[in-house]
Amino acid sequence: MKTITLNLKKFSSIALEFDELKPDDIYTWSKEDFEKYQVPVGNTRFPLSNYFDIEVEGDAEGPEDVKMILNGDMGRVKYIGCGMTAGEVIVNGDADLHAGAEMQGGSLKINGNAESYVGREMRGGNIEVMGNVREYCGTSYIGEWRGMSGGVIRVHGNAGKQLADCMSGGEIYVDGSCDILAGIHMTKGYIEIGGDVTRWPGGQMKNGNIVINGKLSSLLEGFDPEGVVENPEIEGKQLTGKYIKYNGDIGVNGKGTLWLNAEKNRDLL
Amino acid sequence: MEYILKNGIVYDPTNKIAGEKKDIMIKDGKIVGNVSSDAQVLDVTDKLVMAAGVDVHAHIAGPKLCVGRLYRPEDERRGVVAKTDITRAETGFSIPSCPATGYRYSRMGYGTVTEAAVPPLEAKHTHEEIMAIPNIDVSPLLLFGNNWFVLQYVKDGNLEDLAAFVAAWLKIAKCYGMKVVNPCGSEAWGWGMNVHGIDDPAPHWDVTGRDVVRALTQVNEMLGLPHSMHVHPNDLGHPGNYKTTIDTMDCVSDIEKNPSVIRDQTLHCTHLQFHSYGGTSWRDANSGAEPVADYINKHKHVTCDIGQITFDETTTMTADAPMEYDLYKLSGLKWANKDIELETAAGLIPIIYSPKAPVNTLQWAIGLELFLMINDPWQVVLTTDSPNAGPFIRYPRIISWLMSSDRRTEMIENGEVHKWASKRTSLPTLDRVYDWNDIATVTRSAPAKILGFENRGHLGVGANADVAVYDLEPENFDATKAANAAVVEDVLGRALYTLKDGEIVVKDGKIAKVVPSRHLWTNVQGYEQQEKQVLENIMPMFNRYYTVKFENYKVHDHYIDPSIEFKIDASK
Repeated sequence: MKTITLNLKKFSSIALEFDELKPDDIYTWSKEDFEKYQVPVGNTRFPLSNYFDIEVEGDAEGPEDVKMILNGDMGRVKYIGCGMTAGEVIVNGDADLHAGAEMQGGSLKINGNAESYVGREMRGGNIEVMGNVREYCGTSYIGEWRGMSGGVIRVHGNAGKQLADCMSGGEIYVDGSCDILAGIHMTKGYIEIGGDVTRWPGGQMKNGNIVINGKLSSLLEGFDPEGVVENPEIEGKQLTGKYIKYNGDIGVNGKGTLWLNAEKNRDLL
Repeated sequence: MEYILKNGIVYDPTNKIAGEKKDIMIKDGKIVGNVSSDAQVLDVTDKLVMAAGVDVHAHIAGPKLCVGRLYRPEDERRGVVAKTDITRAETGFSIPSCPATGYRYSRMGYGTVTEAAVPPLEAKHTHEEIMAIPNIDVSPLLLFGNNWFVLQYVKDGNLEDLAAFVAAWLKIAKCYGMKVVNPCGSEAWGWGMNVHGIDDPAPHWDVTGRDVVRALTQVNEMLGLPHSMHVHPNDLGHPGNYKTTIDTMDCVSDIEKNPSVIRDQTLHCTHLQFHSYGGTSWRDANSGAEPVADYINKHKHVTCDIGQITFDETTTMTADAPMEYDLYKLSGLKWANKDIELETAAGLIPIIYSPKAPVNTLQWAIGLELFLMINDPWQVVLTTDSPNAGPFIRYPRIISWLMSSDRRTEMIENGEVHKWASKRTSLPTLDRVYDWNDIATVTRSAPAKILGFENRGHLGVGANADVAVYDLEPENFDATKAANAAVVEDVLGRALYTLKDGEIVVKDGKIAKVVPSRHLWTNVQGYEQQEKQVLENIMPMFNRYYTVKFENYKVHDHYIDPSIEFKIDASK
């Protein structure tokens, strides 16, 4: 096991980009290699050691043996864990855009809040965010119609707009509340939201499941109620309680399912 | 600056040089017979030397590209290359950024590219984009096939005024030649409709595609424009459309060519692959390449380019807006539409051509069939209708297919492509291969002649010093071997040298110098009085229906700097 610890010593208001520092590429690096490395900052590069105290302990045979710990406010560090296939990355602080984007395996834990595009186009692995995430968590790249296709994202706080846009696989759990258009354009996969949802979950969804355990303020017209189901089992997951089952979005001939907690959404019964 | 390209193996079909060891001498941007002793010697001993490539049909500049880039950011992130000391950053795969377009053509050894569809209203923007594309000269073709004024003149049978209108509009838009896209179909799209076949009239006009193509071809020959009528026929992409294609080619067979032009054809039929389908629906679709190729083999008044499918995820963009809508309904991906007022309409969708898909494989095979069935390489040009059938950076791959029947057989027999290639086409039976002379013809000499360029596409004395040298020794290399296909593709994709007007712009596959592209445009002389009259006549309609003032419609000279003006004396 190789433990790489980066302790922030100077915060840059211009974002640093970490997509070259994924376990797959750095498992052989020594402390000197990190100190030599020039990290992209805006449109140029500066030595990583300008911003971080670097500690490297142990050896790794492959990326799966890497544990990378980032201490400090990473609120201006983009692409943390982007594209990683194995290993473990822990952020003790906030993370900037695209954390865990295009991730294929391994795990990423953010002990703070994360900016937009967490787990964008994720194909595998696990992401856990202890705080909130902003917009487009688990979505596609802008313009792209192929989104997250595998892996698991757990958000313990709230999620922003357009969670899981164009999702085609994998699972997303949000403990807190969620803003508009969760699961828009999704074709497959599972989304479970613990808290309240503002508006329009599942817009233009073709397939997949969205579970909302809190109160939904506004449902789209393209969802047909099928009835109330008690303790449903959805994609192998056993839920407890009564849920109102909707099918849609019929506007795009969708076969998706939206499950609303019946207790919290009595007005829709 | 003077250069001698020494001891290369030269292929120059225009001057009937087929693989001779020869020196090419260059002075002041031209090919010359002698240079002084100060000339710099570039030792290209035994390397493949050709004139720089000429592309007869691609979409590289204009509003369609801009819309494509805006709505396909996911394409822009493919093909990202960081800036260097010489080049700007590159983005995009099927719709590259403007600088990337120039660099990539230049790296392939190309020197001249035709932007195939410019709506007059958007000509300004097209020229702005051409200004941002370096290293290739661009000849834009102006769209006329669905223009209200054209339709009115055609309806009235008023060819004199139509000729004056065309002459005036080429000056106004600073374009090189005429293009027609789905004549009457894109006008019908304004009413949510399309036309079916060449004899289906546009709604409210009572004018058919046949009328438009005939009238504009007659006008083209009356004026003696350097390039012929450039037609994208009706029914693109519809099974059974080969009949419409043959009808379109045949409808101008009686029109006499203007004697002053160097080209042989009166009609250039573009992206022929999309127009050579048999059957009645996609269930029973098959190849219609044989009757189309047969027609071309028997008629010298027609030339074509292929629009070869390359099996990529690309973007389709065309002024055939109703066809794009049909395609969008088939693919279910996203769609963009652009209406160009009185002139035309355009559509765009992303598309994935998969070798596993039966229809895409059929399209791929039909393209290759056309290449192999049309006997005279002077009547065929290699294109992908970039980016519609694939991005232009795939030309080297297509060359590798044309040069090796073994490679094609391997693809079919190893299951690299769907079995429709052998079940629905006769591609497996075609063992013809192109040699380097044929390749030079379909990528340089023929397109230059078809476009009416006297100084491009060849290496004779007096020609522009646009030269490509490739890191391959044709005398010691067997391009017919399937195993060498990858080498052909690699080597032709990164020229050893590309010279543009006698300057080295590419060296060892890398951009060595950036020079501005020139705008090629045709200035018709001898119609000034009629042009003035025509403008006066149409101004009420222009002012009533256009959203811009005529003063802002014209492309001013500073949009086309630097340019090359082709002065045409219409009285000849």
